Amino acid sequence: MGSVALREIRKSYGAVEVLHGIDLDVADGEFVVLVGPSGCGKSTLLRSLAGLETISGGEISIDGASIVHLPPKSRDIAMVFQNYALYPHMNVAENMGFALKMAKVSKPEIDAKVRKAAEILSLTPLLERYPKQLSGGQRQRVAMGRAIVRDPKVFLFDEPLSNLDAALRVQMRAEIKELHQRLGTTIVYVTHDQIEAMTMADKIVVMKDGHVEQIGAPLELYDCPANRFVAGFIGSPAMNFIPARVQNGQALLADGTALAPAPAGLAEGLAFVAGVRPEHLMVTEQGAAATVTLVEPTGAEIQFVVDLAGTSVLVSTRDRVNLRHGDRVSLAVEPGRLHAFDTETGQRLG
Amino acid sequence: MNRRSDAWLAYFMIFPVVAAVLAFVLGPTWDVATLSLTQFVMGQERGFGTLANFRALWADPIFPTVVRNTVIWILGGTLFCVVTGLAVGTFLAIDSKMTTALRALILLPWVLPDVVTAMAWKWMLHGQVGVIGDAFTRTGLTEKPISFLGDPNLVMWMLVVVLVWRKMPLVALILCAAIRSVPAEQIEASRMDGANARQRFRHVILPNIAFSLTAVTVISMIWITAEFTLPWVMTGGGPANASQIMSTYIYQQSFTFFNWGVGSAMSVVNLGFLICVVGLYLYVNRRSWAAGGSK
Repeated sequence: MGSVALREIRKSYGAVEVLHGIDLDVADGEFVVLVGPSGCGKSTLLRSLAGLETISGGEISIDGASIVHLPPKSRDIAMVFQNYALYPHMNVAENMGFALKMAKVSKPEIDAKVRKAAEILSLTPLLERYPKQLSGGQRQRVAMGRAIVRDPKVFLFDEPLSNLDAALRVQMRAEIKELHQRLGTTIVYVTHDQIEAMTMADKIVVMKDGHVEQIGAPLELYDCPANRFVAGFIGSPAMNFIPARVQNGQALLADGTALAPAPAGLAEGLAFVAGVRPEHLMVTEQGAAATVTLVEPTGAEIQFVVDLAGTSVLVSTRDRVNLRHGDRVSLAVEPGRLHAFDTETGQRLG
Repeated sequence: MNRRSDAWLAYFMIFPVVAAVLAFVLGPTWDVATLSLTQFVMGQERGFGTLANFRALWADPIFPTVVRNTVIWILGGTLFCVVTGLAVGTFLAIDSKMTTALRALILLPWVLPDVVTAMAWKWMLHGQVGVIGDAFTRTGLTEKPISFLGDPNLVMWMLVVVLVWRKMPLVALILCAAIRSVPAEQIEASRMDGANARQRFRHVILPNIAFSLTAVTVISMIWITAEFTLPWVMTGGGPANASQIMSTYIYQQSFTFFNWGVGSAMSVVNLGFLICVVGLYLYVNRRSWAAGGSK
């Protein structure tokens, strides 16, 4: 069992408050990803959960029991650090068994647990090696092994993949997810990479400036972002934002061209920010006219930038369109894929 | 520029250093080595290629005392310097306003000239007028002032205390810097792993600073071996040779009694000892050198 509840978590450094009352529930066995730009407080929140930072206010409990006043070692939590934090003078087996040695577990039992974890992570041939003799991916696996041997209630990952190259990152992403499915332990995972968040999470927590912007399943966040920040942060390439207003149930752009039907419930004449994902814009026979300014074929899809009523808009399509700089195209939005946000607050309108 | 003229330029650039090393290090070393094999009588050379100087040293009744004192001086001094330096360095590595100020203050003993340190301590430890002995009697610790530098059983240890006072601060600062450069994540990982403060020190900090610790130990040993002013000014080897160490005895033999042969023979013994220390240091750190200085 390992359900985590965070209530009204506040953290200040002197007069500066960096976490402004965070509430979060993590169910047993859930994979929760905290995501946000750097400085948003996600790592601080994770470290508070680990007990490496003391919080200024609020309540943290695991399985209903408060852990706020417990030191890190008594919280039954294991953490995987960004730089792996392996002990350079210990070999892989010693690194993985260190926590058990500190807990005065008998030598044969430590050996058995380390061997078992090493098997899970296919580290068995490397047990005698030292960290400096390992590649980045192997070190990452040892760091995970160190967490696994302790069999904790909750695993914490602090940007574990950011030191790896792109190919290895994709591979380790899959490995961590597989590990989660195999062990079924609760995981709280911090990253600034929204793709990592989307691909791995059961539940994503988007944070900004010490506030939670939205909590939800990956596709929920993608389909129904609560505000302009989440809309722009989740999804790659990022969502286009175009100033618009409602007229006759249509979303009208600055130059008067109608882009798409306005979302239901928006008052006539209301000015709003229209959000459209690049993949939801289609080149059609009739629609809003735009001028192509840049074409970038990536192979799987073609991305092109157009000038739409004075706004630079990215379009991404899997069709083999033959476009050049300066071409005129007409664009339409897939039905129901137009998001509306308040011009002032950025909150979702519909 | 071609490769060959590059090489000549390089030789030209390092020439002054090579010349200085030859003139001021290798030259005198060679002189001392040859002197030690030359017999002198009344300052006159009387034949080269003899071990008479070494035999005279062996037969000298004071030499065993000098060796014993030198062992206390070098090994005791180094041990206490490094152990207290490690303790103080660990304390200074803690982040607080007080330690920030102390990190600067602690260098004070180090910036004082040797002679000033020696004179100040000589008077403070004086048997009749010293403030330390006076403080001891006033607080009732002793009935009458102790003659710290006059007691043959005490004098060597008093010298070690002053030596530690003078040399420890830099050791502490170097180790403080080493401790502060231990990756914070390793400390945090060990906290998560359940290690208490003592275990973190033993299993994470000590192995991480092992390189600095051996380096600073050997460097202290070399400093202490070469240290001459402190013992010479404070006691001059006395009372009755009770604090005579290699460096003071070499000086006395060579420049007070003009026994250059015996003096240089002792210097050769001293040099042999230093070579052993440095050799041991290089051996212990052989892997670190190959790995570019870090483990």
